[in-house]
Amino acid sequence: MSKPIVFLFSFLLIAANSFGQEECLLVLRGKVVHEENNEPIEGAYVWLIDSEKGAVTDSQGIFRISKICQGEQTLKVQYLGHKDNLEKVNIQSNMSITIRLMAEDVQLEGVEIHGHEDALLTTNTVSGIYGDELRISRGQNLGETLRRIPGVTTYSSGSSIQKPVIHGLHSNRILILNNGVRLEGQQWGADHAPEIDPFVAREISVVKGAETVRFGPDAMGGVILVNPAPLPVKGGQSGEIDLIGFSNGRGITGSVGLLGGSKKIKGLGYWIQSSSRIAGNLQTPDYMLDNTGAREFNFSGALGYSNSKLGTEVYFSHFQTTIGILTDSHTGNLSDLESIIENGRPFRTPDFTYDIQNPKQNVDHQLLKLKGHYHLADGAKLNIQYAFQRNHRQEYDRRRGELNSRPSLDLVLFTNTLDLSYNHQTRKNWNGAIGFQLIQQANSNIPGTGVVPLIPNYDMFNVGFFAIEKFTSGPLEIEGGLRYDFRHVESARVNRGGVLQEDVFDFNNFSAFIGAMYPISRNLTFNTNFGTAWRPPSINEQFSQGLHHGLAAIEIGNPDFVSEQSFKWMNTLNYSGSKVNVELTGYTNTIKNYIYLNPTEDRFVSLRGTFNVFEYLQTDAFFMGTDLSAIWTVTSHWELFSRGSIVRATNTTEDTFLPFIPTDRLETGLSYNFQTGVSENNSKISFSNLAVAKQHREPDFDLAPAPPAYMIWNLGFQTSFKMGNDKLNFGFQVTNLFDKAYKDYMNRFRYFSHELGRNVLIKLNYEF
Amino acid sequence: MKNYSYLMTLFAAVALTFSSCKSYDPVPENEGEVITDVILKFTELNSAGSPTGTPIEVRATDPDGLELGNGPTIETITLARGKTYLMEVSLFNSIENEDITVEIEEEKEEHQFFFLGTAFQGTAILTYAYDDEDIDGNPVGLRGIVQTIGFNTAQMRVVLRHDLNKNFTGANNPNWENFVQAGGETDLDITFPVVLN
Repeated sequence: MSKPIVFLFSFLLIAANSFGQEECLLVLRGKVVHEENNEPIEGAYVWLIDSEKGAVTDSQGIFRISKICQGEQTLKVQYLGHKDNLEKVNIQSNMSITIRLMAEDVQLEGVEIHGHEDALLTTNTVSGIYGDELRISRGQNLGETLRRIPGVTTYSSGSSIQKPVIHGLHSNRILILNNGVRLEGQQWGADHAPEIDPFVAREISVVKGAETVRFGPDAMGGVILVNPAPLPVKGGQSGEIDLIGFSNGRGITGSVGLLGGSKKIKGLGYWIQSSSRIAGNLQTPDYMLDNTGAREFNFSGALGYSNSKLGTEVYFSHFQTTIGILTDSHTGNLSDLESIIENGRPFRTPDFTYDIQNPKQNVDHQLLKLKGHYHLADGAKLNIQYAFQRNHRQEYDRRRGELNSRPSLDLVLFTNTLDLSYNHQTRKNWNGAIGFQLIQQANSNIPGTGVVPLIPNYDMFNVGFFAIEKFTSGPLEIEGGLRYDFRHVESARVNRGGVLQEDVFDFNNFSAFIGAMYPISRNLTFNTNFGTAWRPPSINEQFSQGLHHGLAAIEIGNPDFVSEQSFKWMNTLNYSGSKVNVELTGYTNTIKNYIYLNPTEDRFVSLRGTFNVFEYLQTDAFFMGTDLSAIWTVTSHWELFSRGSIVRATNTTEDTFLPFIPTDRLETGLSYNFQTGVSENNSKISFSNLAVAKQHREPDFDLAPAPPAYMIWNLGFQTSFKMGNDKLNFGFQVTNLFDKAYKDYMNRFRYFSHELGRNVLIKLNYEF
Repeated sequence: MKNYSYLMTLFAAVALTFSSCKSYDPVPENEGEVITDVILKFTELNSAGSPTGTPIEVRATDPDGLELGNGPTIETITLARGKTYLMEVSLFNSIENEDITVEIEEEKEEHQFFFLGTAFQGTAILTYAYDDEDIDGNPVGLRGIVQTIGFNTAQMRVVLRHDLNKNFTGANNPNWENFVQAGGETDLDITFPVVLN
């Protein structure tokens, strides 16, 4: 459907541009490289502002702009995370120039930034958080951090467990990449937060489109890329220390990172990082939340060597957390749940403590990655990446006697992934990649829980082949790709009564995408992408058969489910002028065989009381929505920003609304810069408002009606001090400034608790 | 060529790791927590407070535990009018053959029974008084004194709570309808029919 439209549109644009040109036949060629090490930059935007012509650099950093008129022109070069380069070029004949870009957030003497990092090149919309913005969000978990991107919200279980939601989809319908590796934990659980430390990241980006072809199954709603600092390739050392204190939970977070390169062996570099967090009971405006403390301890590191031909990297990360679960969220039966919902807040009124009791979660996750690439002739490149992951999740409930010290859920998940790809550049305008991906997974219940496991043990094997090809003609890019996956799953468990239940599943799938990107004028870029994606049913959707404490419901899975298929079409218009930047995204996503949890009429009666019965069902779903982000630089001091998103989701078979779909939200803020222009100690104060609407499109069944709309205010101030070669950044933030009591529709605990009250944060960041 | 051999070594190592990673064989779990049998034992007390006559046992059973399947079987409490009984509650897990009463005894201060329903409301046909206490002097409800005072048939709802705040105002009342306000979680919630002859 979209293909002809895309081509037609591109044609019109090309045609429009080629008319009305004078006898201008000059060609400007050039190369964009990193200032620090002369390594080429792929994917930089090069613009001749006056003649409204541009190009994007290829994997060698090379660009070519033709049909240029004689005379002096302004050339603008942009690349994510780097300072814009503006210069006057006097073009009298065909000429060739080299442009050097400097990294924005890394201005460290003697440390060289690696040029081998692969920029993600896609015609899908990519939004990133890096530099100052990332620094402001330090101390938040991944979900909270990502809410800065329009279209990204969270699905939470209390305030400590927050899962990112992209365009209304979450859990197994999105993918998170930790330094290029598919993060494989127990994503299916609503109360299973991603096992990732945001302090690892130097940049976090979100691809909002379907990217199954590139990254494999599950990447249906989008992909989150958490990328650490690139490895240095020149001698020298630098580092960063963060210390964050926050009032709500009386907690503290600290992080230390070191980055350096060998002086003896050119091309050898490393970084190491560690962070830790401790917090106690959290506070809503009117009451303390019982047992909501958290502990976290993480470390990671990488070592790499590279020269002009070869690049290698070893990466290791360890993530470990203990999270207290709001005691009142564990209800014994339906009448308990109904009583607490009627009460609207927890019955317990605890004092502050750092202690964490049952119910709680202990989760740890290790990742080891080995990566290499080799540059072949003619700009071709061979990539290999192997990763091993171990995810260990223990969930503890309040139990009698000795059982209280035993987890009721104890799962260990091992994942091996192998990625092989070959990037080529056959002709000037064509480049692409072919690849192969292997995922092997073994999930085991560790015996001794005293509870019949919620999900079975299983072995999974997934093999995928893909090809992506991109055609670039001047500023126009057209890209398409195809993928085939095969998945084999063998599961086994012992049911109540000692019956061994074994099942074998095979899934096959083709996915494809096509997309295009075109700069309509020097300020306006348009991109469109149509992609299919798939997701095999997750293990809980197939096999759940037991009590879900939080919902006082028995959930029943169905082993006969087929894979979900999604068709997502997304369009983005980006305007970037000297004073105004606007990005508008619109999308539709049709999902066939969408799996959801449906309440049934049945009630299950036991000696423990009555429970609801929910069953997993498959239907067809339709999602559509828009995201908007706008920044207006009013004067050199004042800046106004706004970001909002709208999602609509329906069950098209039943003609009803889907549960837990993000409500309409708009965040608007004003900031004041004390200094103008580029300054060493930039001080900035900002004040913002978040308005979230009530969810009027509720599903037929919900335990309680959607909470009313709310509005909260946030305040922030940051400044920095230059201390010799070092730099101290200071930040002061207040969230929920007026201590407003509210509930959020996307929080599963909204039935019986409010969101957090005022939180005052003090942030110190020292760069050396 | 050197680089290729390095890649080959890596590949071999990967192949080895892939084949060595298998899930465990599943084993049966002992579900020690489930309560499948609840027994109320009524022993008549004479005016001196001494046991007399043959004790009456009333059972509620659910051999499936928390598994979907048959609902529980709940017997009727049939007692004589105008008498005083000692009511003792015992709990049993027939799946694992475990006596849960002992576990509750050991964690008395975290558990409490409440006795609710029409039997205690309006023109009540029963009264209940706790006859045991934990280390803090708070009631538990494994033992209690029941008096049969009315004429009608009615229902007695037995609720076992754990992890509650026993010092909460009202929590010492065995017929406290708002027991949820003291916090905690329900372990048992059974409604027995009561007939007084």
